[in-house]
Amino acid sequence: MTTQEASFRILRFNPEKDEKSHYETYRVKIDNRMTVLDALEDIKHTQDAALTFRRSCRSGICGSCAMKVNSLAKLACKTRALAEADSYGEVLVEPMENMTVIRDLVVDMGPFWREIDRGNPWLEWDKNLEGSIKENLITDQQQQVAAKLADCIMCGCCFSDCVSRVFDKNFTGPASLAKIHRFVADSRDKVGVKRLPALVGMGLWSCTHCYFCWSQCPRDVRPVVAISALRALSFKAGDRSHGARHVDAFMTSIERTGMLNEASLYLRTMGWTTVRDLDLILKMIAKGKAPSPFLKPVPKIEEIRSIMQADRKRKET
Amino acid sequence: MRFAYYPGCVAKSTATELYDSTALVAQKLGIELVELTAASCCGAGVINEGEPYWNIVLNARTFAMAEDLGLDILTICSTCQGVLSQVKWQLDQDPKMMEKTNETLAKISMKYQGKVKIKHLQCVLTEDYGLGKLEEQVVKPLKRFKVAPFYGCYQLRPVEALQFESHEKPASLEQLISALGGEPVDYEGRTKCCGFPILFVQRDTAFEMAATYLNEAKKANADFMVTPCPLCHISLDIYQKKALNQMKLGINLPVMHLSQMVGYALGLAPQKLGFSRHMVSMAEVLRGS
Repeated sequence: MTTQEASFRILRFNPEKDEKSHYETYRVKIDNRMTVLDALEDIKHTQDAALTFRRSCRSGICGSCAMKVNSLAKLACKTRALAEADSYGEVLVEPMENMTVIRDLVVDMGPFWREIDRGNPWLEWDKNLEGSIKENLITDQQQQVAAKLADCIMCGCCFSDCVSRVFDKNFTGPASLAKIHRFVADSRDKVGVKRLPALVGMGLWSCTHCYFCWSQCPRDVRPVVAISALRALSFKAGDRSHGARHVDAFMTSIERTGMLNEASLYLRTMGWTTVRDLDLILKMIAKGKAPSPFLKPVPKIEEIRSIMQADRKRKET
Repeated sequence: MRFAYYPGCVAKSTATELYDSTALVAQKLGIELVELTAASCCGAGVINEGEPYWNIVLNARTFAMAEDLGLDILTICSTCQGVLSQVKWQLDQDPKMMEKTNETLAKISMKYQGKVKIKHLQCVLTEDYGLGKLEEQVVKPLKRFKVAPFYGCYQLRPVEALQFESHEKPASLEQLISALGGEPVDYEGRTKCCGFPILFVQRDTAFEMAATYLNEAKKANADFMVTPCPLCHISLDIYQKKALNQMKLGINLPVMHLSQMVGYALGLAPQKLGFSRHMVSMAEVLRGS
């Protein structure tokens, strides 16, 4: 068994005595079976009883021990200490982002839960079905979506590492949107797609596709996939916000030319707000960088159009 | 070394300097590029939010074209690389979707067999061509320069689909910078999002993202930034001044495309690499070259 001594640099903050947070380093003997949580327990029991962190199940189920390990949100109980130390030369442990620190590695999960609540994450039962003896089945496809999204353990890793949330506090975050998709996609939910219009105001189109929510989710829920699915549903339901107009302009461009017509995409998405960039557009023209709005279709464009049109016709019938 | 070349839309419109410099670099290194001129736009993840099936079938058509040539695909856009890789990954593990897609493709006498590999120039240079061989070709080492690598998102995550390098601790851009004689600088934002995907939706947020990472790179003493993605380049170069003004940051930082940085170190004339098309002047960087 590989055993070695590793440095754990931990961000500490005690509101009763610290004005600001600071790092403290501990040396811990680790082996290849130990998780970061095991090492934190070791530090707490043998070096510093005041070190504060949440933990419960130790099995990747409860989601309590989410924290940043070498700058990315992870469950401490699912993260091998030796692999982190080998890869980074130390194990840097910090509280999650996008939430306020209460003490050491414990954050106030309030903002996360408020965002989850914002989407009314419960099944709105059709009262007409009450007392019915008939089973209310959902399709296999719906079950697959629901099962994937129900794997979320509300640990907050995706919320912590969401780049959009860092800069835009109105963006409800990946977990919230994933939870909403679970109900929108469920035919037993009587609200269903009527949930969609409210999502635009919660930042449905503010996700950047950075994929941190996919990579950091310890349960492989892939919230970004749910966000894309919600956007597609919202687009189909008649959403005309900037995000949906962008999708429309994109599809039109590909059907016309096979390629992205950057000039027309910009104009069609931005509308009159294009005037804000007039100075930029003039400079781009001067630099020879402005894309032409007149794009020649790619060779065999009829293949692309036939694929799109056949699929459209299939859906109509 | 021969590839089916998929330059993507932006390299053929807003960022022709990327297209032109890639052609010169490929020629210099003996990499033959057979352009897939009839391929469609990858959809940039946006078409997936309108008609998810079009995202799959149009990109599968591109894969089939490359397979017909018996070649793997080379991209020069991280977004294309990410979208194509995700569609391929999805198809390769979903036999039902593969069957449905090939039924559609059969109508235009095409078939995706699952053989093609999709590689960004960044991957081709580090893995196929090789860093050692590239280093031997350098005639104008970047030794004067501290370079900030900006990876962006699409070529790093999700790793399951990309199958290239660790998204947590990527190293290929640093390795390339070092092989070309430059000094890579470290900063937090190198693997974050440039803001481009929400530029048309949440402009202020997008600007804040770009400005934050440009500022971090500047604080790390970078002489310039390098990116493998032309969409990141739009955000970081074209919109740089507006983004920095919004954040009241009185700085500027030139941003190179990956192919331009490689071409420069290989001794290709800066005039041919299209630096004059950049919105943030490269004059300071190129002085004395």
